[in-house]
Amino acid sequence: MSLPELFLADRPAGAPTTPALIRDACIAIKRNRAQWLAPRRTQDLIEWIAYAAERWRDPSNPFRRRALEQGPAETGFGRTTLERGLDGLFVSLTAEALGAWVAQDLGDVRRLDEFCGPMGELRQGRLALARGPELILNIAAGTLPNPAILSMVASLLVRSAQLMKCSARGSLIPRLFAHSLVDLEPKLGACLEIAVWLGGSPELEAAAFAEAECVTVHGSDETIASIRSRLPGSARLLAYGHRLSFGFVGAEMLSSFSARKVAEKAANDIAAWNQLGCLSPHVIYVEDTGAVSAEGFGELLASALEAREAADPRGALPAESASAISGRRSLHEMREARSKVAHDEAVTAPRGVFFPVPDHGTRVWSSPESTAWTVVYEADPRFHASCLNRFITVKPCRDLRDALRYSDNVRGKVSTVGLALTESRAAEAALVLANWGVTRICPIGRMQEPPVSWRHDGRPSLGDLVTWTDFET
Amino acid sequence: MPSSIIPSSPGEGTPGHQARISAYLERLRTCIGQWVAEGFAPDDARFERLVLELFALQYEANPVYRFWCVSRRIDPSSLRSWREVPGLPAAAFKESPVTCLRGDGITTWFQSSGTTGQTPSRHFHDSVSLQAYEASFEPWFQHHALDRWTDSAVNLRLSWISLVPSRTNAPHSSLAYMIGRLMDRFAPSGSATAGIAGADGQWELESAVLIGALERAQAEKRPVFLLGTAFNVVHLMDALEAAGKQFRLPAGSRVMETGGYKGRSRVLTAAELAQGIRKYLGIPAHDVLTEYGMSELSSQAYSRWSDDTGAGVLQLPPWARGMVISPETGREVSDGETGLLRLIDTANVASVLCLQTEDLAVRRGRDFQLLGRRPTAEARGCSLMSV
Repeated sequence: MSLPELFLADRPAGAPTTPALIRDACIAIKRNRAQWLAPRRTQDLIEWIAYAAERWRDPSNPFRRRALEQGPAETGFGRTTLERGLDGLFVSLTAEALGAWVAQDLGDVRRLDEFCGPMGELRQGRLALARGPELILNIAAGTLPNPAILSMVASLLVRSAQLMKCSARGSLIPRLFAHSLVDLEPKLGACLEIAVWLGGSPELEAAAFAEAECVTVHGSDETIASIRSRLPGSARLLAYGHRLSFGFVGAEMLSSFSARKVAEKAANDIAAWNQLGCLSPHVIYVEDTGAVSAEGFGELLASALEAREAADPRGALPAESASAISGRRSLHEMREARSKVAHDEAVTAPRGVFFPVPDHGTRVWSSPESTAWTVVYEADPRFHASCLNRFITVKPCRDLRDALRYSDNVRGKVSTVGLALTESRAAEAALVLANWGVTRICPIGRMQEPPVSWRHDGRPSLGDLVTWTDFET
Repeated sequence: MPSSIIPSSPGEGTPGHQARISAYLERLRTCIGQWVAEGFAPDDARFERLVLELFALQYEANPVYRFWCVSRRIDPSSLRSWREVPGLPAAAFKESPVTCLRGDGITTWFQSSGTTGQTPSRHFHDSVSLQAYEASFEPWFQHHALDRWTDSAVNLRLSWISLVPSRTNAPHSSLAYMIGRLMDRFAPSGSATAGIAGADGQWELESAVLIGALERAQAEKRPVFLLGTAFNVVHLMDALEAAGKQFRLPAGSRVMETGGYKGRSRVLTAAELAQGIRKYLGIPAHDVLTEYGMSELSSQAYSRWSDDTGAGVLQLPPWARGMVISPETGREVSDGETGLLRLIDTANVASVLCLQTEDLAVRRGRDFQLLGRRPTAEARGCSLMSV
């Protein structure tokens, strides 16, 4: 299967992208959007997207097959990792879920089609119509395809022309998704452009900024600050900065039976997208009063990750990332050697040998002869960001408040907390976490599978795109 | 010395151990002498004898290293080849005093100039280990920077300008120590030290000293040997720019730069550094020598530039070896492959002979080439990785 050259990003590698090309593309998709996309009804879009998503779940679908064949080399994710991650997304993109998303963010699924409103507003004699921007520039980060696909879907739902800017190695799957939409309805492709350029190409970005009514960015604080400073005043910026996540396991889930189940679920969160997403856990806090200790949970998690590696290998890493893991591992292995010494009479440590750092217990479990997975148990409860790619730290804590106290250094940067708690405790914990600033709480095991309508970084993602016209009757 | 810096009994060097270390130093000197006489040709058997002997001594006297070896299940009786010596992670120096010396035996220490906010790595010395340091750096430097460079008539007329502070001014810099000793030993009169450590410990240049020395050398038509870190060279370019000076230094002039910017100046590519050296000093890229060393070690690697792509293959003396280790498997990579550099240094007598660095390198036969971090590498995910 060869893809037609529909988008700038379809051209052979090295084909030059110039500001004039970007400008012309933006003008063309705006024109097509006015003629064709803007007059569509939301339900049509929902059905196209849901049908495309359904076809992606079919193993014989040519776009899916190509994504799974070429994806590993292109994105660095193993085939199974990609398959699971994409299936998780496409399962959630049903007509029902998409309709519910529009209704959730806009109050009624027809809000983009006609003046309407929920009962409360109607009783006050108020109607409203929402309109999407004429053109949205979506700047995707990294090689995780799901956020890029979701941005594309959101822009389609609000019927905006869109320019999707991908990273060099991150364009394959968004492109394949776009082509699969074109396969259903060629005119959809005429309102959409995908381009690849290296971040921080000011001339290209200036050309795109000049045409965009709204810019969405996923990226680091530096990227966002740089874009913010260069954006003309007329454009609206929706910035999704890098976030991180962690897990919390309650003592009542630590019977020897349930602890293993929780560890398997946590392994799912760690393996999904090789832990590179902002919804992936860096640390798992474990209450230290359970039947299985936090250290014991670390051991269970290690076996779960080992099993996961056999079924869903992490794949090769660039030398820098592998080195980061081996460096972190050896630091912890050194501390492990030291904490063993404290209990091992065969090797006696003279007093005063070590700098006065408190002697916290450390254990390390890791994949032999590879960096595929690592579990570190560290009695030191302070939150420490992971070097990712399936490297997790398990830390003991007395309770949730204790865990939050030790995570103060990442307060305001936490996206998701995955909980393994009984229902009654989870409700209580959710309130504490919300007040602390966490924007999403879910069960452990589903951290990387948010519903399509989730409020990214606590914001309504469709709601933030539209502009309203209120009509008082 | 403040007791907070030197714990009372960090190492376990007993009097008997001291005598054996002194005997080892004598053997090391003899071996180095043989290597010098043989034109530095590798001799793996000789190297291995030194490694096995020093490993046994350090296993006994260096508790931090011993714990690490025990956790790797390696001890002197099980070690069969120099390739099996466990590499102590460089991070160990930040957590514990990695030394064979007892507190009362320590006469000085060198510490890494690490980025602000990081715990510095300390390398403790006594007079024996300093002698080993000198025994290692002198002949290898002489070979690369002097003997192999030009004939001795030119070398004897060299005007040395150190961009690094003097030994007394920066007593805990291993580089200042090395350059100071080298100047004592090799530099003819009329050489100058233009580096100075400010009250906050930051290294700066004394422009007047620098420019005076350069003008004098140019007037006397003497070739110049500039020695300093990469950030020193950037400061030199800034100082000459500010003074509106550009020099065309005589043939035979050379620059020895030691890698690393460590946040002390803007970071230049090799091509930009070469361009600046050519512009302000009139020294071409092929007259630049890169030195790679660490305060935790006692031997250095050198690479003379062939063009403005910078340092190529770095060579250690035959009494030290670099191994490029796969971060995945922990084994040495094949020729041409990338991994983490592990350094084995038989002149590093008082701390640890084998250090696992966090530097990425490509294996080039017996030697290696360092890889800079790739700043343009795109992030793959959207998770926050540094907090």
